[in-house]
Amino acid sequence: MSAHSFLYNQSQTKEKVPVEHLDYVYIKKCKDVKYLERILKVLRSGKEGIFPDLITFCESHLEKLDPGSRALRKENPVATPASLSKDEWGQIVADLKIWQEETRKTERPLKQQPIFDSLVKEDPSPIRGSNCSVPFSQAAGPKEKRNCARHPLPRDYQYWDKYDVEKECQRIDENVVKTDPAAMINSQHPKIRTAVDVPLISQQEKLLLADHEKDKGNEAFRANDYEEAVVYYSRSLSIVPTVAALNNRAQAEIYLKHWQNAMRDCQEVLKLEPGNVKALLRRATVYYHMDKFQLAAEDLRLVLREEPQNAAATKLLCTTEKKLEECGAEQHSKGKKILIQEVEEDDNSRPTETEAQQNAYPVEPSQPVGGEESSAAPERGDMGNAQKKPHGRGDGGPHSEFNNSHHGHWRNRGGSSDKYKVSQESKEKVANGTSKRGSTASVKADQSSGGKATQAGGNVGETVNLDAPCGALPPHLSRLKNEGNLLFKNGQFADALEKYSQAIQGYSESGIDSPEDLCILHSNRAACYLKDGNSQDCIQDCTRALELQPFSLKPLLRRAMAYESLERYRTAYVDYKTVLQIDISVQAAHDSVNRITRLLIEQDGTEWREKLPDIPLVPLSAQQHRREEPPSAEVLQARAEKAARDAERKAEIRFSALKQEGNEFVKKGQYQDALGKYTECLKLKPEECAIYTNRALCYLKLERFTEAKQDCDAALKMEPTNKKAFYRRALANKGLKDYLACSSDLQEVLQQDPNVQEAERELEEVTVLLRQSLANANTSPAKPRRTVPITEVGDEDTTDVPKSENSCRGDDIPTNLQPTDAYEFGQALNAARCSGNTASCAELLASTTPEMLPSFLSNQLDGHTIGFIMQAMDAHLLEKNPSLVYQHLNHLHTADRFSVVLMLLDKDERRHMTQLFEHLAAVESSEFTKNDVQNLANKYI
Amino acid sequence: MSSPLAKPQIIAHIQKGLNYTVFDNKWIPCSAKFVCLGNFPRGTGVMQIYEVQHGEAQLIKEVEKPKPIKCGTFGATSLQQRHIATGDFEGNLNIWNLEMPEVPVYAVKAHKEIVNSIDGVGGLGIGDGAPEIVTGSRDGTVKVWDPRQKDSPVANMEPTEGETKRDCWTVAFGHAFNDQDRCVCAGYDNGDIKLFDLRNMSLRWETNIKNGVCAVEFDRKDINMNKLVATSLEGKFHVFDMRTQHHTKGFASVSEKAHKSTIWQVKHLPQNREIFMTAGGAGNLHLWKYEYPAQRSKKDSDGVDVGVAGSVNLLQNVTLSTQPIASLDWSPDKQGLCVCSGFDQTVRVLIVTKLNMV
Repeated sequence: MSAHSFLYNQSQTKEKVPVEHLDYVYIKKCKDVKYLERILKVLRSGKEGIFPDLITFCESHLEKLDPGSRALRKENPVATPASLSKDEWGQIVADLKIWQEETRKTERPLKQQPIFDSLVKEDPSPIRGSNCSVPFSQAAGPKEKRNCARHPLPRDYQYWDKYDVEKECQRIDENVVKTDPAAMINSQHPKIRTAVDVPLISQQEKLLLADHEKDKGNEAFRANDYEEAVVYYSRSLSIVPTVAALNNRAQAEIYLKHWQNAMRDCQEVLKLEPGNVKALLRRATVYYHMDKFQLAAEDLRLVLREEPQNAAATKLLCTTEKKLEECGAEQHSKGKKILIQEVEEDDNSRPTETEAQQNAYPVEPSQPVGGEESSAAPERGDMGNAQKKPHGRGDGGPHSEFNNSHHGHWRNRGGSSDKYKVSQESKEKVANGTSKRGSTASVKADQSSGGKATQAGGNVGETVNLDAPCGALPPHLSRLKNEGNLLFKNGQFADALEKYSQAIQGYSESGIDSPEDLCILHSNRAACYLKDGNSQDCIQDCTRALELQPFSLKPLLRRAMAYESLERYRTAYVDYKTVLQIDISVQAAHDSVNRITRLLIEQDGTEWREKLPDIPLVPLSAQQHRREEPPSAEVLQARAEKAARDAERKAEIRFSALKQEGNEFVKKGQYQDALGKYTECLKLKPEECAIYTNRALCYLKLERFTEAKQDCDAALKMEPTNKKAFYRRALANKGLKDYLACSSDLQEVLQQDPNVQEAERELEEVTVLLRQSLANANTSPAKPRRTVPITEVGDEDTTDVPKSENSCRGDDIPTNLQPTDAYEFGQALNAARCSGNTASCAELLASTTPEMLPSFLSNQLDGHTIGFIMQAMDAHLLEKNPSLVYQHLNHLHTADRFSVVLMLLDKDERRHMTQLFEHLAAVESSEFTKNDVQNLANKYI
Repeated sequence: MSSPLAKPQIIAHIQKGLNYTVFDNKWIPCSAKFVCLGNFPRGTGVMQIYEVQHGEAQLIKEVEKPKPIKCGTFGATSLQQRHIATGDFEGNLNIWNLEMPEVPVYAVKAHKEIVNSIDGVGGLGIGDGAPEIVTGSRDGTVKVWDPRQKDSPVANMEPTEGETKRDCWTVAFGHAFNDQDRCVCAGYDNGDIKLFDLRNMSLRWETNIKNGVCAVEFDRKDINMNKLVATSLEGKFHVFDMRTQHHTKGFASVSEKAHKSTIWQVKHLPQNREIFMTAGGAGNLHLWKYEYPAQRSKKDSDGVDVGVAGSVNLLQNVTLSTQPIASLDWSPDKQGLCVCSGFDQTVRVLIVTKLNMV
């Protein structure tokens, strides 16, 4: 055996280590850890002599090869305070001292827990079955049987509570089958509950428990078992929510890629502790992974502001910014592609459609644009539209209408009206949802259409050569311009502005004569101004550009926009018109012209055209320049449709908003306001039947019967069979005392729907009135009219007909008797007061329980009301029922704001009050004495 | 090993000589106090309460009991009560209120012979479900007790007739992560380790480590069982990965021969389950850290999951005395604080530093 082979086989040989191996050179060469350990052992034993240096050399060599080698383990003496530096030990001792004090503090409340406490909160877990024996060795067949027989005691009742039948069955099955069980994997933990039932324990203990669960979570986290970690963090949080546990859970969720959950946790932390660095960092991570680079960067900057040395944040910010840049370029090329190209572009030979789109964007960023290239966009926009429509127009109208007319008036219909309310609300939600979806859809559409435009228009903007020559500009100026374009593209408008200004400056200094280029520079700078909202300067630049190059499209369009934003609609209109003369296909100009026309009509009336400045005639050359690619008829049509749809959609939104507001006002009983809203609605959509009927209702409430009738007529013109319109017209007619027309209307209603009981009742009543009026006409006219209190019985079938037309029927029709709530009472009282009808007020008071009076008045009490009530009581009630008057007075002064109102009473009202008390004092009654009255009077006067 | 200062240091903070043989020490939860349980030379039992104050252990209370006390646990008591359950040389299980330690609040003749080991679960917020105490005795039985049930155990694990009775040296609870699942692990003098499933009332797993099992402990009692450490008479300890059980191979394990003598005790750090300390017969303490493998389970040739054991790293080792260290307890409240005692009639409070950095 050669020495060489021995060298490499030595690990197999268990022979004694030869003396020649106890050598620096050999040890240095040896790579076998086991053999080195043996050498070390021999050396340490001292059998071959003591070589301390060789031992240390061998140790260090071994450590190099295997730092964890057992041979290197030495017995260390225990460290003492002396073996640590003074500071270190001092810190440890201080730490320990703090802990000791803390524990003493935490221990005290624990000790003070009442002893019977433990009795109250008996542990709910049942006691295990008594004395169950567990098979001692691995269950083999016969043994198992014996064990079964050895169940010594019957199981107690509690055992059966937790007796798991399936488990038992399974066990029996297993015993029978005895197949090889698959591996049991404990790594799944579906059985751990994520929440802990915390018994009624002190906060102290809760904190301890929560901490314990959090520790377990941390451990699971460290073992890379993130799911388990999340479970334990959740448990901890279910006991006491802490920032630390939330933060940790967020991190675990991040590892699990549950971005939403992680986000939720981060938000929670930041709610509890705004500015928590960890949470911010984690939220940034989540944002990063959710591709929200902008938000991620914001969070990271916050983190770095707090902790400038935070390496993780710096790193993430770096990558985020990189992404952001990439993404930004992409996004710009998507969303604002037009602008890039617009800025980039020097000549006007590009397809006009993209041009049109480009120009459409700056005005209405969320407005989907027409055109072939963005075929996806209108579709999506339509989706939003279509979803919204039903709400605005279709069933949404009637629904909300009868809902609001129910509201509050008819208690007995509470159930059904509530139901409607719910449906209404959900409808609103749906509407909101759809409108949101609509808008996002349109935004997306924008992007996609932009993207498409990019593809169509070529990716000019993607690869920007800053030194690309621009027209006749010298290199440094063209560079400035390109830089400006790039900045503009990135949305840094102010910087772009500066570049352009420099370029313009340089231009005038260089003395070149190239009006085209200067025009473009001005035009581009105008775009920057426009972006920054500086319309004045934008107009200036545009004007300058137009001086240089008359009838160039972009400056004109920009100027128009600027004018429009300054609300100088006439000039804007002229500019837009000029644009359209140059190029008829500029969609944005079309839209704006329509919009401005509407505004101008509103502003100046029908003669608006006369006030316009002259629209310059565009020379044919400029027009033709633009007509190189006339859009196909198809495209034009699509575009027109698109525009129409757009306008419609916008009107729709406004319309539904107005209507909603109107309905709200009706619900609140503010009919005047509702009226205004409905009127506005009708301005937007004069053909909406529901609005007419709604407005009619308002008019009815306001007792403007003529208008109500007109509205009903209008509604009936549109929908000749509208029951509601008929019914309301009937009521209006009744108010106008045209009983004949009224009855015919009601008959019409009943003909359409015989189930409308209100109409039936109304008809009966009107027939009586009709007869009376006819009789009156024949005989003496002074016969007082019969008053018919209307109490409508709730009915599911009549939902289409509003039922609240009871309180507004002229002077002598009294109010709703037996008011049941503040609203009804208030309505009745107001009606009576408006007409100065003290009798009906007295009646109302007579039917009101004195105890309820203050609550009915709620906070609506004012001086006039008090005066009126006093008058009513004085005039009508006092004679009939003095004790009721006393009772009322006795309760009235407890109403809200009474003392304040009392101070503000005017002379007349005071007089009424004094009179009432005088009269009351004069009345002899068994229920109260003069003294009582005097006492009461003191409270009033 | 490269930078010794970065390693955790084990510092002897307090040493206190005692006039009796101490078998067990336990920290009282939520306090700076610990209990020493032992045996007076005159053959009676003793229970002492010490408080750590100003760098000293001050005796607060001492009670003498008729029988030497071998072991104790706070595992099955509530935080308010903090009653200690003890097992003595006569096989009695007693629960004491430390405020009034004269009379036990619960007493039962649990075993015919000495109670070697005791463990509790379901108290102190550790482990869901009923509070339960398990005792292991020389009489070969392992019994589970519910302090709410007098006189009889709720579960009894004893060898059937005809089987030889082995001396049970150690018991431990684990797997108590919900109110039904619970396991008891018992180690015997012949090297048997048995894992009893209390939910199914069955023996779930058994193995033999060839040497008497001095101590077993789960890294956590109240989680889905994760790791089990078993120490042996001949200076070896085994760490079992309890997550994946193979039907024939059982649990994967890693073993380490560390001490040159018996490893009497193993205790996991309450604040970090991957760190544990072993106490050896030569009066030395070893601090270990378990490292998980990249994958904790793999498929064997039959496509069945089989566990993969990780590795253990020695973080620190110190020699405290020439006598064996028989008991060891980490403070549940203060990371790094521990108390240990040996047959040299000394109790020591140790501080282990830098545990949060490993």
